[in-house]
Amino acid sequence: MKQMMNGGLLSVPGLRRLRVMTQKELLQLFRDLALMVFFLYSFTGDIYLAASGVSMQLKNAAIATLDADYSFASRELASRFQPPYFQPAGSVADARQAIRRLDDGDVMAVLDVPPRFQERLQRGEQVSVQLQVDTSNSVLGFLASSYGAQIVGKYALEAAAQREGLAASGGIAGPLVEADTRVWYNPNQNDAWFMGISELLTVVTLFSILLPAAAMVREKERGTIEQLMVTPLTSFQILFPKVVAMTLVILAGSAIALFGVLGPLFQLPMRGSLVTFFLITALYVFTTAGLGLLAATVARNLAQVGMLTVVILMPMLLLSGAWTPIEAMPPWMRGLAWISPLHYFLDAAYGILLKGVGLDLLWDSVLAMGGLGVVVFAAGMRRFGRQFG
Amino acid sequence: MNGQRIVALAWKEWREIIRDRLFFALAFVVPAMLMLLFGFGLTLDVENLPFAVVDYDKTAASRDYAYRFISSRYFAFQGYAADEHDVDALLADNKVRMVLVIPPRFDERLGRGEPAPVQVLIDGTFPERTQTSMGYVAAINSAVSLDNMAHALSSARGIPLAEARQRVQPVKLEVRYLYNQSVKSIWSLAPKLIMLIMMLSPPFLTAVGVVREKESGSIFNIYSSTVSPGEFLLGKLAPYVAISIANAMFLWLLATWLFGAPFKGDPLFFAFATVLYVICTTGIGLVISMLVQTQVAAMIVASIVSIIPAVLYSGVLLPLPSLSPAASMLAHALPPMYYTNIVVGCFLKAVSWHALWLEVLVLAAYAVGLFGLGYLLFTKRPKS
Repeated sequence: MKQMMNGGLLSVPGLRRLRVMTQKELLQLFRDLALMVFFLYSFTGDIYLAASGVSMQLKNAAIATLDADYSFASRELASRFQPPYFQPAGSVADARQAIRRLDDGDVMAVLDVPPRFQERLQRGEQVSVQLQVDTSNSVLGFLASSYGAQIVGKYALEAAAQREGLAASGGIAGPLVEADTRVWYNPNQNDAWFMGISELLTVVTLFSILLPAAAMVREKERGTIEQLMVTPLTSFQILFPKVVAMTLVILAGSAIALFGVLGPLFQLPMRGSLVTFFLITALYVFTTAGLGLLAATVARNLAQVGMLTVVILMPMLLLSGAWTPIEAMPPWMRGLAWISPLHYFLDAAYGILLKGVGLDLLWDSVLAMGGLGVVVFAAGMRRFGRQFG
Repeated sequence: MNGQRIVALAWKEWREIIRDRLFFALAFVVPAMLMLLFGFGLTLDVENLPFAVVDYDKTAASRDYAYRFISSRYFAFQGYAADEHDVDALLADNKVRMVLVIPPRFDERLGRGEPAPVQVLIDGTFPERTQTSMGYVAAINSAVSLDNMAHALSSARGIPLAEARQRVQPVKLEVRYLYNQSVKSIWSLAPKLIMLIMMLSPPFLTAVGVVREKESGSIFNIYSSTVSPGEFLLGKLAPYVAISIANAMFLWLLATWLFGAPFKGDPLFFAFATVLYVICTTGIGLVISMLVQTQVAAMIVASIVSIIPAVLYSGVLLPLPSLSPAASMLAHALPPMYYTNIVVGCFLKAVSWHALWLEVLVLAAYAVGLFGLGYLLFTKRPKS
């Protein structure tokens, strides 16, 4: 890198100053050993944990049966609650025991089949079975009741078809609508891809706000900023190298995460152009670093920068659409998402890595991100210039 | 241990915190802001999923079928697409997340009493959302199928539609949602947010507060004074614990009043467990502050160490049963999961000591362990 920077163009005085300042920032960063250790951990171990450990899907939810009928039909129905979604967890004797097992979190759902289920079914009456679902976690609760409804619905339709003589050899003959569902881009719904990329973007965001802001405020706190002010450096030449240094380091971290963790260990496809990915990442780090620098002009000490970072980081993560779909948010929040650079970066990152799209589709995201970056950076420079000019 | 010294140190720390107005304000504003932001913004319901329809059949039946999706609040109709080639770009550019393809002869097949296939293309980028939307699609399809079957049966047998409907659906499923009857996300979310925020904020405040003295060098005043390490830690941390307890109380008020989450449990038990949890998370900050030398490192370590387990391994966003074995072990080894059980138990299930004593015990062990470790790591005679 050093040799690359010693090239002809960089001997122009302004650019040489930028180079020297960038080197200074890098040196300062690398000397904080604890920070560097954690930096590496964030881009490797942390991403590995997020990608490997977590699945947002309902898997093997324990279900117990409260069977008051003990008939062929009731056993047939209960036996349809099978992995991957459900895991039969024995039967319970009465409603009290069912509630106790639900209370203890020992089972997630209880299927309650009423007495005379088979008899009434054969007589052509409509019978209700009950599914009690622990919805402390509403997403899981919804999925469990949705799968339960599908299982019972299929069972009911088959029972009806048999009784009404509609059964054909291959299944049911009737005006049914049968959906053939195809999942694109991630056909096996591999959570590791989603979680891994999402975590990488989170870590990139955290470092791009915090590192430049902290580097700036540390100079303020220690008073070394006064030394910089008496040099011939312009405020751009003081601020910009901080961003360049952090961008280089963060890009290196992202490369480690992609080629060291997500690629080899989780078979992340990386369908699009990686050059585009890294260019957009660089643009994103620049934009977000601008936010950090803006915070740094407000803060007097590092503790304040830390708190301000949380104030900026958390809404950005929330409004990005990584944790929860933006479409489902209240309209005013959806509006705020348009000014969150992470929202654009998220689209671009998933687009390039999973969908294999290029700049022809992403140009609007890139443009919006770049626009935000310029505005934020300009505002930071202005405030900095007023404070120290 | 000299009580007077502890009080003096705590007072000094308190003055220092108050004098830094922005920091003091942010110490209270940040948790409340997070609560409001997540409470209003973090809806886990999947709604308004943008979708497009490719209708090759173009009959009344196919339009009726498409209308079932268009009128559903779970889907947001973006328009008809001419054919499947347009769809690639729409899905790739995130303009739609799902495409419904109705093939030719849809109406004809149904009219003849045969099953009619349709194709659903779903963007799998967000697996959890994909699964939820597949659930919606299945629900709509089975409702349509039942309707069709009932109509067919009623005209074939000459029985009233209501009776036919009953006959094609001999078994009905009634779902009872326990602990959170309306499956309103916010009810299950708001209590867990207390856990989440109380995991994020205290370690951060504490780590930065202690390392600040190290970085500015004022810690040498402590080293050279008569204050013992135990007295220093107690006095130094007391104000941070106090701020965090005040914050926890405020968050509880927001959860119950603003978000209307029901609180069915024992308030005394909950208060006790919460104080214990806050001491735990403050202890995490203490241990971090002993291990790093600079505030930047303290902030990075605190956020990585606290955000990941709080968000991923506590059961807020992600169901615990679906964790991999390694992650599940990690979840059991960290405090947030235990406190999640306590908040959920207290808010939604009205359980108390008899069901949660183990969780409280684990938190207490954590608090003692973390402070013990902090005490061991703190030395008044640092190397170099």
